[in-house]
Amino acid sequence: MNKSTQKILVIDDDPDFLAAVTPILKSALYEVVTATNPREAKEKIFSEKPNLILLDIMMDSLFDGFSLCHAIKTSKEFRDYKDTPIIFVSAVKEIAGTRFQFKGDEEGMAGPDDYIDKPVKPDDLLARIAKLIK
Amino acid sequence: MAEKKPTVLVIDDEEAMRDSCSLILARGGYAPVTAENGEVGLEKIRELKPEIALIDLKMPGISGFEVLEKTKDIDPQLIPIVITGYATVDSAVEAMKKGAYDFLPKPFAPEELRLIISRALERRRLAMEAETLRREKKLMEDNFITMVTHQLRSPLVAIQQYFEVILAGLAGQVDKTQQEMILRARERLDNLLGLINDWLDLARIDRGQIVDKLKPVALDNLLKKQVEFLAPLAKEYEVSLELKPAKGPVLGDEQMLDQAFSNIITNAIKYNKPKGSVTISMHHENSFIVVKVEDTGIGIAREHLPFIFDQFYRVSRREDQKIKGTGLGLSIAKKIVEAHNGSIEVESEPGQGSTFSVRLPRSEDETK
Repeated sequence: MNKSTQKILVIDDDPDFLAAVTPILKSALYEVVTATNPREAKEKIFSEKPNLILLDIMMDSLFDGFSLCHAIKTSKEFRDYKDTPIIFVSAVKEIAGTRFQFKGDEEGMAGPDDYIDKPVKPDDLLARIAKLIK
Repeated sequence: MAEKKPTVLVIDDEEAMRDSCSLILARGGYAPVTAENGEVGLEKIRELKPEIALIDLKMPGISGFEVLEKTKDIDPQLIPIVITGYATVDSAVEAMKKGAYDFLPKPFAPEELRLIISRALERRRLAMEAETLRREKKLMEDNFITMVTHQLRSPLVAIQQYFEVILAGLAGQVDKTQQEMILRARERLDNLLGLINDWLDLARIDRGQIVDKLKPVALDNLLKKQVEFLAPLAKEYEVSLELKPAKGPVLGDEQMLDQAFSNIITNAIKYNKPKGSVTISMHHENSFIVVKVEDTGIGIAREHLPFIFDQFYRVSRREDQKIKGTGLGLSIAKKIVEAHNGSIEVESEPGQGSTFSVRLPRSEDETK
């Protein structure tokens, strides 16, 4: 399959992270779209129909990555996109202390397909993406 | 606004006493309830959550002193006042020591009773207000720690992300000098991030966030995972890691204990010698489990030993300049262990190695 047809939506409130991660994805010939807030993220999911979503866990306080991920995987609104693979991106320590523990498991929330620590290593990121959107 | 009348429980075996107190209290605008002995009294405290309890010290069955002690477990907010017919200094002092707010010698005038009750209520109101304030302050501080940490980390992580991209050659060719400089800059950032993480851990422990939720923790499992997790690091330092068979569970916070042991074992690996080893073993000691982390490393000189658990204390020797650290790892481990009512000790022989012994209270739940 031609990789260039694959589109990745990166959702993060930090424009610098978006700017830094874009060249990584482009180097593997993915098309990149970005969103810096949940509203924009929602619009882009509907308009761009991404093949995969990179989602920052600690977005703004009102609507974090956990909620958005849960919404995409389970809500009616996103039912056409519920199979879109989601990779959580986060600075680990913010979530659980020493090591990543997926918070959602305990709270009955739908989890991501994979997660990766910030800063992401380009090779690692690309390998994880490739596994999910062959 | 119709406020609820404060409930005052009178625990006394003399009916006349209960009746007269009830009358005085009702007239004073309180809602009196009575109990004819200690057992019934404790039952009513549980059920009705009175604001104040008047407790007769001398009763058949469980004594007023016992009632006094047990009220603390049932409702720490309750203000107990003792009434006594044999108002000796001794019994008054003992009652106060056991947590009575005040004491009232029999016989007393209605005014005396009402005065003491109104003072007690005022004091209860202040205590509850203070408790609310304390809770709000703690919440604010907890959020503050999280927010500050996020704000401090985010820009650093963004910088690191740029470095990753540049180093991967995705922002154009990078020559050798540039690459070296960026690698160094990245290392400095790593250290700074490590420092922030450690600081956050310390702040959390200081906030006492762990002591509230102690559960039985299976140490064997925790240490097994720890050994697996640290295997790559051990390989990098050419150190072998061995975990001896484990003992029963301890009482603790799993995540925090994980952190403490991670810090100790990581040190044992880093301050080791190539072809050295780290051995983790356990034994029972009374109501404690002692975990020993033994390394064959460079050891710690006697003059440094008293300080190695101090914050930011790092033993600086030319030969371990290359070992990175924030100087907080062991002090974090110590704080965590102490917050578990445990202790941590070190023995060391320079050139031979160090042994860290962590004592943690055993969990009652030995079935695990």
